[in-house]
Amino acid sequence: MSEFLNLLAAGLTSGAIYGIFGACLAVWFRVCNVLNLAVGDFAMFGAIGTAWLVQTAGLPFIVGIIVVLVGVGLTAWLFDWVVLHTAFDRGAGAHGIVSVFFYTFGLSLILEGVARAMFGTNVYGAPSIWSGPALHVLDFHVQRAGVLVIGLAIVSGLILWAYLRFTVSGRAASACGESVLGSRIVGIDSAKFRRRIFIMTAVLAALFGVVESPITGYTYMSGPTLSLIGVVAAGFAAFRKPGRAVAAGLVIGVAEAMLGGYVSTSYNDVLLYAILFAIIIFRPEVLGLGPEPA
Amino acid sequence: MPLGPVALEVEGVSVSYGKFIAVESVTLSVGVGECVAVIGPNGHGKSSMVTALAGLVRRGGVVRVFGQPLPAGSPGAAVRAGLVLVPERRHLYPELTTRDNIMLGSYSRTRRISARSAWEDVSGVLDMFPELARLLDQKAGTLSGGQQQMVALARAMAARPRVLLLDEPCLGLAEAVARRVYDWLGEMTKTDMTILLVEENPVHALLVADRAVRMYKGLVEQPGVASHE
Repeated sequence: MSEFLNLLAAGLTSGAIYGIFGACLAVWFRVCNVLNLAVGDFAMFGAIGTAWLVQTAGLPFIVGIIVVLVGVGLTAWLFDWVVLHTAFDRGAGAHGIVSVFFYTFGLSLILEGVARAMFGTNVYGAPSIWSGPALHVLDFHVQRAGVLVIGLAIVSGLILWAYLRFTVSGRAASACGESVLGSRIVGIDSAKFRRRIFIMTAVLAALFGVVESPITGYTYMSGPTLSLIGVVAAGFAAFRKPGRAVAAGLVIGVAEAMLGGYVSTSYNDVLLYAILFAIIIFRPEVLGLGPEPA
Repeated sequence: MPLGPVALEVEGVSVSYGKFIAVESVTLSVGVGECVAVIGPNGHGKSSMVTALAGLVRRGGVVRVFGQPLPAGSPGAAVRAGLVLVPERRHLYPELTTRDNIMLGSYSRTRRISARSAWEDVSGVLDMFPELARLLDQKAGTLSGGQQQMVALARAMAARPRVLLLDEPCLGLAEAVARRVYDWLGEMTKTDMTILLVEENPVHALLVADRAVRMYKGLVEQPGVASHE
């Protein structure tokens, strides 16, 4: 029983990481049909930036977090203004799927290079927001940072789900991804939604990096890995449902932990992708990927 | 020219795509409650003109709605002034439900409230389109062409337009469905709704229009008065 509960705790923690990045990817993809492949790099900057400001520059922890989150928000705004606004709102550049892929992939490479130049190749971890020994409930042992990670993922998923489901603004955000012209004719500013949600998910990812980094530690190369697991979790949510991405991430994390604990860790990735491919091919409606409407 | 008060004034409106001039200094007035048809062959600037009036493409010239000048290139300002477009090919949100598609027509005035309250605000449009009531929870992309056109009209009516711009409302629809659209338009012309109707088919247009103008090579060519016969 003890082994099962501890695997469950580990699985929920790693699943929360899948889920939060999946949610960030899904909500922005829903608005503008572009995958943000730099979302993991924003988390990396949140973690390493805060650690550096606190441990090297000597800023108070809360000030370090605020400075980093503001910096990440401004970076996201600048990228939107320079690249996305020029490409999408002013009609410049190419708009094919490969070209659009390179917009955020390029941002990821730039952020990685800047992080290496600024912080070097060391492993960083921000101070823990909720420090202290691991929590013990019966045979259930979980680190305090893990509790925060799971909590942040669930709360973020619930807020994004409620925003999209219950507010006019959330429906308008979805409409932007469905038809830019159709949204503009009713007065929806699709560029504003794209910009706001890009900045919001960048800041959320950075905050998640701050909260999560005491567990795993981050280097300048951590971003692409996080973005990739986010893409997988978002895939389980049809790239459009952030609430479902968090739920899917948690399930995937627990399944991986159980498989690793009771069978072998060698099969984790095989299982993950096998399930995803099987669903896409045989039951696409589970992911909301039905046939194209006539 | 309209005899009574003017709802829509278009003065010297031009639209260019690079070096190609799609609309050349068009001047046009539509009176309150009047239905004016813009007819002419495809590719001669009719759609460019109405999309420019709705703020969707850059334009030169002046557009006024009930005397209020509209900024160019601002669809939000056009909607807030009461100028609402039903575009060619509808441009619905296929993965959203019929209910959401209609509700978002009211976005400019309901954006800060809950979706439930917004729907209560606009659900009265179902009185005009009762057949949509049973389709409210169906995704718009799964509806037939005629049903989608009804949703597009309902979405426009949810915006509470004072001037309605209709761009080829029957394009791609079967004749029987097109008749139903024009029956609805005929009902609208009995209200104080001002309508500017772009239509390639003059037979359709003259069923409901009070008068018609013809666009040819980007110019408004000749005014005429419809007989309704």
